Amino acid sequence: MNFLFAVLGQTIRNLFRTWNSQFLTLVTITLSVLIFAFFSLIYTNLLNVGKQLGDDLRLIAYLDEEPVPALQEEYRRKILKFDAVDKIVFVSSKEAYQRFKKQLGTDRDVLTDMPQDFLPPSIEVYPVRSLDSLTRIKRFSDYLQTLPGVLKVQYGREWIERFYSFVQLMRIVVILSGTLLIMTTTFTVAHTIRLTLVSRAEELELLRLLGASGTYIRMPYFLEGGLQGLMGSACGLAALYILFNWIELQFTGSAMFGIFPFTFFPLPIIGTIIGLSTLLCAAGSFSSTRKIVQV
Amino acid sequence: MTESRRENRVMVELIKVGRFYPPDIEALTEVSLSVSRGEMLFLTGKSGAGKTTLLRLLCKIELPDKGLVEIDGMDLGKLSRHKIQQLRRRIGMAYQDFKLLPERTVARNIALAMEVTYQKKSFIRRQTKTLLDRLGLKSKVHARTADLSRGEQQRVSIARALANNPDLILADEPTGNLDAESTCRVMELFDEHRRRGATILIATHDSSIYADTDYRVLELKDGRIVDTKENHGTTGEQE
Repeated sequence: MNFLFAVLGQTIRNLFRTWNSQFLTLVTITLSVLIFAFFSLIYTNLLNVGKQLGDDLRLIAYLDEEPVPALQEEYRRKILKFDAVDKIVFVSSKEAYQRFKKQLGTDRDVLTDMPQDFLPPSIEVYPVRSLDSLTRIKRFSDYLQTLPGVLKVQYGREWIERFYSFVQLMRIVVILSGTLLIMTTTFTVAHTIRLTLVSRAEELELLRLLGASGTYIRMPYFLEGGLQGLMGSACGLAALYILFNWIELQFTGSAMFGIFPFTFFPLPIIGTIIGLSTLLCAAGSFSSTRKIVQV
Repeated sequence: MTESRRENRVMVELIKVGRFYPPDIEALTEVSLSVSRGEMLFLTGKSGAGKTTLLRLLCKIELPDKGLVEIDGMDLGKLSRHKIQQLRRRIGMAYQDFKLLPERTVARNIALAMEVTYQKKSFIRRQTKTLLDRLGLKSKVHARTADLSRGEQQRVSIARALANNPDLILADEPTGNLDAESTCRVMELFDEHRRRGATILIATHDSSIYADTDYRVLELKDGRIVDTKENHGTTGEQE
């Protein structure tokens, strides 16, 4: 208990004595976490959008003629051999006609003189719902095209490719900003602690002469680093939350937000970001104080 | 007295210790010395005789180039970092240059020594107050040490050295900047600690502090012990 009080007292005194450099470090960590969390938030929401789009995602392979049950089974076997899918639906010409008629609604009269089998039969393939399925769509499409009796394969190719490129770009941005976060938090904290150590060389020398243990000397700096990480990341996330609410307020009622609801990080993710930042900063300060415990 | 009992009574042991500084300065040469527990010993000699070097060897601020230095039976050359830290907590050293933190208050400077040994806050407050009272610095408790006179700084340095009631007290010119009254206060405190069982080594030019005492006095000259004034009545006997 006495150890704890001594170390905490020393930490608080350190923080007050070097409040200006502590403040600058805090701002740097806050901005780093804000940048990283901002892109991460966009990325995670894009993943959600991808999943949502994936729910409606399907490949339609139009056939030249109605497949008999044996041929349907053959198609099913070949498709499953290529990749796992959620569902395979065979749509006959008549079913396609009925769907079309339903879609036309009040304008269904236009179909009055049309034969009920004028639309080609098709196979609807629903890939497994995940973002990765988007990347596989093209390969899947090319494969379906090679199956006998397939006239044409359709899917929203253009938007899928654009969306996928954007998600890829966001992934890179998140990785880069994550690296930036690690570097800034670790190096800034380590540098601040190092400067503090230099400015307090006299005191550290005295502590060593008085027989202070390595833990007593290092622990306040370790706590200082951890505290900077904790406060910096909390401030960064709080700033992002305010920004998020502001954006949400600006776009309330917009069609885009209606279709794809934008959500903030869940609590476990918030906890992970704060925990990792705290750990990184503590590690940064720990590495800077390695040499000061030499007797 | 058996050999083992005799060894247990020895607090400081130096055997043929040598310390050299480049290019060719012999700070200490073949110094052998044994100081018993509860003994007060004066090291005298001109500036540069090796007094400060000897004290610095005893708390491992420096290492000897030759010979053996033992404190309480432990060879300092073989002690681990952790053991050295533990040993230093048992040693109180008053430095010639005081080694105070100038921007901190008198109380903080003294408290620091007790905080590293994880003393209770109540003990730290009480001990700081007592020591400052005894050294005539009661009114300076919240003053920055940078604002104190040399004599006052010296007394703060002594208070810090005594704060943990150490087993071994090393004082380098502890009365160099003090008037007669303060010198008397300091020597009284040292004597109290000696009676408690502490071993005390004082490096000094000031012959007035040992002239009328029975304590052992060693004179160093050019890094060698050249003269010893022995008094068997007070060497190592706790009262």
